Amino acid sequence: MGCFHSKVARKFRGHEDPVKLASETAFSVSEVEALFELFKSISSSVVDDGLINKEEFQLALFKNRKKENLFANRIFDMFDVKRKGVIDFGDFVRSLNVFHPNASLEDKIDFTFRLYDMDCTGFIERQEVKQMLIALLCESEMKLGDETIEIILDKTFEDADVNQDGKIDKLEWSDFVNKNPSLLKIMTLPYLRDITTTFPSFIFNSEVDEIVK
Amino acid sequence: MLHSFFICFVIFVLSCIFICHLILISSCLQIFKAEFTCLHWFSASAKKLIKRILDPNPATRITFAEVIENEWFNKGYKAPKYENANVSLDDVHAIFDESGSQNLVVERREEELRTPVTMNAFELISTSKGLNLGLLFEKQMGLVKRKTQFTSKCPANEIVTKIEAAAAPIWDLMSRKITTRFLDFLLHLIHSRPLMEIYNVQVLQVAPSLYMVEMRKSGGDTLEFHKFYKNLTTSLKDIVWKTIDEEKEEGTQGTTFSLKNLFS
Repeated sequence: MGCFHSKVARKFRGHEDPVKLASETAFSVSEVEALFELFKSISSSVVDDGLINKEEFQLALFKNRKKENLFANRIFDMFDVKRKGVIDFGDFVRSLNVFHPNASLEDKIDFTFRLYDMDCTGFIERQEVKQMLIALLCESEMKLGDETIEIILDKTFEDADVNQDGKIDKLEWSDFVNKNPSLLKIMTLPYLRDITTTFPSFIFNSEVDEIVK
Repeated sequence: MLHSFFICFVIFVLSCIFICHLILISSCLQIFKAEFTCLHWFSASAKKLIKRILDPNPATRITFAEVIENEWFNKGYKAPKYENANVSLDDVHAIFDESGSQNLVVERREEELRTPVTMNAFELISTSKGLNLGLLFEKQMGLVKRKTQFTSKCPANEIVTKIEAAAAPIWDLMSRKITTRFLDFLLHLIHSRPLMEIYNVQVLQVAPSLYMVEMRKSGGDTLEFHKFYKNLTTSLKDIVWKTIDEEKEEGTQGTTFSLKNLFS
């Protein structure tokens, strides 16, 4: 049994133990291993250091390592839990856990609230939404007049900001999302359910399953 | 063994159709000559089924329901699983019926709201590529997108009418590939590939005079869907304002209609 452990240890040297990660998330050990394959390919794309930096993240999302995107930056910052400027394997798995189809609704609502609360004040302010909206319109090359943008914001805040204080708090956001469930569609990645079939190379490496069974 | 005789049958039919091709004028599946020789190693039940399928007389030709029930067909047949459970067999029956060129069935589902629903700011923001982490997986898996979008400044009803008008000739053009249609039917027998394409088109209102049109496929071949989408947007050039290529799972509410078609 000692020799199984050393094989696993060798493969995951420098990274968190997959068994530990599996116990803390909705992923099974083999799913964590499959995620490691994905992590490996992303983290080695620019600098082969076993960590995902901003450029590698951008490369993976947009096929362009120089492409700056407000939302991708927010996601990156949220994945970079330890504030190191890079995402390690543990961060990667734990953050992706929220995107699993079986993850709790509450966790997903919480994640989106923190995502949109860009300055981390505990509220989603109108100005923040305006900034995000403008970024989105820029990205999709849609040109809308300032007036139209204000109309969209007015309507959104009418629906979401129940106490009309010009910002959306956690509770208002929760209610708003429950009324508009499509807002959480970005928080579920069905690919995570079939991860072991999409990254079959792990099958040849995996020893861990034997131990866990 | 089963596999090899299918391949032989396919080769045989190809040559048959090549001969018949010049005299085929309609875009529906038609066999004018009923003479054909089954290769001797076909089983009796296979020969019987094929004879009934290739019957030039639509009145006596086997119906799809009967094909499904045929014992030879059912040997090792696995019913295909469609992503969208609401599959009606009417369009499948249409391939065997000679009821005119009903190749395109446009079903407009009138929902309670006749006008498109306005997207709120967060729904718009959600469409950003930066928030689509599925892209991390797709690059590795080499997936083809299942959904595409474009924006338009024309009124919603006009968009819908124009799409219907633009789609019809494309269906006709694609359905004229008789050889591939028939081959596909055979492939369906062999591999249980879905015969039906269901494309859902949604028109969503972004702002007072700006609409986003989303096309999503739920069933059928992804590459064919993309071919169709490409052709469609080319013929819709006058109403398309901007094309957006993104991959998303679902759309929001709006005026929806789906184009169902039997397809190669």
